[in-house]
Amino acid sequence: MPRDDSSTSKPFLATDRRRLLLGLGAAAGGTLAGSLCPAQAARAGTTSEAEHVADAPLGTARLQQRQPFHGPHQAGIVTPRPAAGLVAAFDVVVQSPADLERLFRALTVRIAFLTQGGRTPQLDPKLPPADSGILGPEIEPDNLTITVGLGAALFENRPWLRPFKPKHLQRMAGFPNDALDPELCHGDLSIQFCANTPDSNIHALRDLLKNLSDQLVLRWLQDGSVPVVAPAADGEKQSARNLLGFRDGTANPDSGDPATMARVVWVGEANDEPAWARGGSYQVVRIIRMLVESWDRTPLGEQQRIFGRKKVSGAPLDGRTEADVPDYAADPDGRVTPLDSHIRRANPRTPEAREHLILRRPFNYANGVTKSRQLEQGLLFVCYQADLEKGFLTVQGRLDGEPLEEYVKPIGGGYFYALPGVPRPGDYLGRPLVEALAARPSTPS
Amino acid sequence: MKLNRLLAGSALALAVGLPGLAAAKVEPSLELVQPLADYKIYISEKLQKLVDDTTAFTAAIEAGELDKAKALYAPTRASYEAVEPVAELFGDLDAAIDARADDFEKREKDPNFTGFHRLEYGLWEKDSTKGLAPVADKLLADVTELQGRVVDLPLPPEKVVGGAADLMNEVAASKISGEEDRYSHSDLWDFQANVDGAEKIFELVEPLVAKDDPAFVQRVSANFKTVDDTLAKYRAGQGFELYDKLSESDRTVLSAAVNTLAEDLATLRGKLGLN
Repeated sequence: MPRDDSSTSKPFLATDRRRLLLGLGAAAGGTLAGSLCPAQAARAGTTSEAEHVADAPLGTARLQQRQPFHGPHQAGIVTPRPAAGLVAAFDVVVQSPADLERLFRALTVRIAFLTQGGRTPQLDPKLPPADSGILGPEIEPDNLTITVGLGAALFENRPWLRPFKPKHLQRMAGFPNDALDPELCHGDLSIQFCANTPDSNIHALRDLLKNLSDQLVLRWLQDGSVPVVAPAADGEKQSARNLLGFRDGTANPDSGDPATMARVVWVGEANDEPAWARGGSYQVVRIIRMLVESWDRTPLGEQQRIFGRKKVSGAPLDGRTEADVPDYAADPDGRVTPLDSHIRRANPRTPEAREHLILRRPFNYANGVTKSRQLEQGLLFVCYQADLEKGFLTVQGRLDGEPLEEYVKPIGGGYFYALPGVPRPGDYLGRPLVEALAARPSTPS
Repeated sequence: MKLNRLLAGSALALAVGLPGLAAAKVEPSLELVQPLADYKIYISEKLQKLVDDTTAFTAAIEAGELDKAKALYAPTRASYEAVEPVAELFGDLDAAIDARADDFEKREKDPNFTGFHRLEYGLWEKDSTKGLAPVADKLLADVTELQGRVVDLPLPPEKVVGGAADLMNEVAASKISGEEDRYSHSDLWDFQANVDGAEKIFELVEPLVAKDDPAFVQRVSANFKTVDDTLAKYRAGQGFELYDKLSESDRTVLSAAVNTLAEDLATLRGKLGLN
């Protein structure tokens, strides 16, 4: 290993000690050490306390944060959104109910392990390792949730599954402002990964692809992040910002209130849906490109009129703080908050609008450069609702033609049905659907 | 001369090509001797066919017989694709014979872009044999050179057995997408040839694995059958339909089977105790 003489043995010790303190053991290779440049060593004064360019970042004490796997609903829907998200869509090899059960059971085993953490199997070195190893031999839960959804294609392309399709599940159709890329759309199955660090999502994705290679074929994926925001001076939590610089999620229904979630998000007896679907939710995924260069050249006043909020505080245009509720009744002509502003179209705050609430759970993405040499950035929009028609489809319909469209272009995504949860150990994801299939009157297989 | 050529090859070829080193690295168990000998015969036959077919293919180009050259392109390549892991032991030759335009920054315009795909580009994109004679000459020289080098190549067992997974990785990474033969769209020929090459290796060592892990053998055989049966739906004449005829659902089935074969065959070396 090439190494400067001025940074010899001590940095090794420091790095090793820090790793031990973090409980990472010998997870990272020795290549991390010895990367201290002479200037840094001089600045740090004593090399034993210096930090090194290639050290693992600190501040990851939340690696141990764990979301329960078992419950009436899947985790990752009303779970507070962590900093890193990834949605992947797959086509599946499922030709019979037995294939479907095998897929669900295999997913359950992997998801239960990945989200709860544990030690990876150590195999004979003559064999490929069982795990990618990118998190080391010990998998920390890292707040990971893995949420599985079924696409309309899964049902529609299989006659024996067709009668069991959730009522509103459909292939995503383009809205007037969409420019859908067929390679970024639809799929038989969606898997949403959310964790404190993006590495946990990548690790989990690679684990599933390796272990379920006989049934899962990757179709598209998009990852994203949520900027970490410190609470305001008064301790009030603030919503994160999207890549247009505006706070996103302000008017979300209260995900901490089970009664609200039961009404807005979870399919229950009140919904006219197959019994197997109870406890699930409609998942909408949209990859929405943002034309950020154009946006950044737009006057602030116009940006605020387009959104209907103040950019810095997130307050509605007639309010002072982010939590203030706009009073549209006092502004019927849209003199303060334009009638076609994003938030007013999305939620007109009428009693009727209460029927159309959705739970948004988006992530920002940055993918590089377009062919026009512009930034390829945007929003990995994800939302959940108990009724796709009343929820996203109605809201998006109201947004059609909004001035914001000049700056955004949805290019991909799909509609999926997030399965009910796995209530207890020994049970598996999707069991109610498998049992409904087994109980069906005729059994073509 | 032979040694010089080897030294000019890739580091990998160097590591496995020198008999002393190879002998020090591997101690093939006795039961592998026969399969390895059989495999050597298999690649010798494939390479002889490659040289014969390339002779006819390049002759057609030099005679300006466009249709004949187009017809001979895919079947000629198939012999190369079947033994690709062995050919790849010689990095210089593999690049000269089988590189794709995107291996070069200047793409199709790069003067180092030679071999099958350069000829494919001329025959289909330019729809002409014009200017291709020097490239054809070089291809024939390169495949002949390859044949000569392999004759003297000690075959490291872990490379041979590992070649089965390499072939499936190759299919998964570039054949399934239709990007390999982007001008002629004859990818399914290559696809079948890669699979045949992997299947041959598996068949040779199958009896050695079957006693310890019959379930493994059953799963691998079933996945080979899935791939072969699915590809068989696209057979046309002596070969295959164009790649774009492949349906999306069949592509999904093929992807899953190929990825699973790649995962399973990657354990074959270890199962045979090879490092």
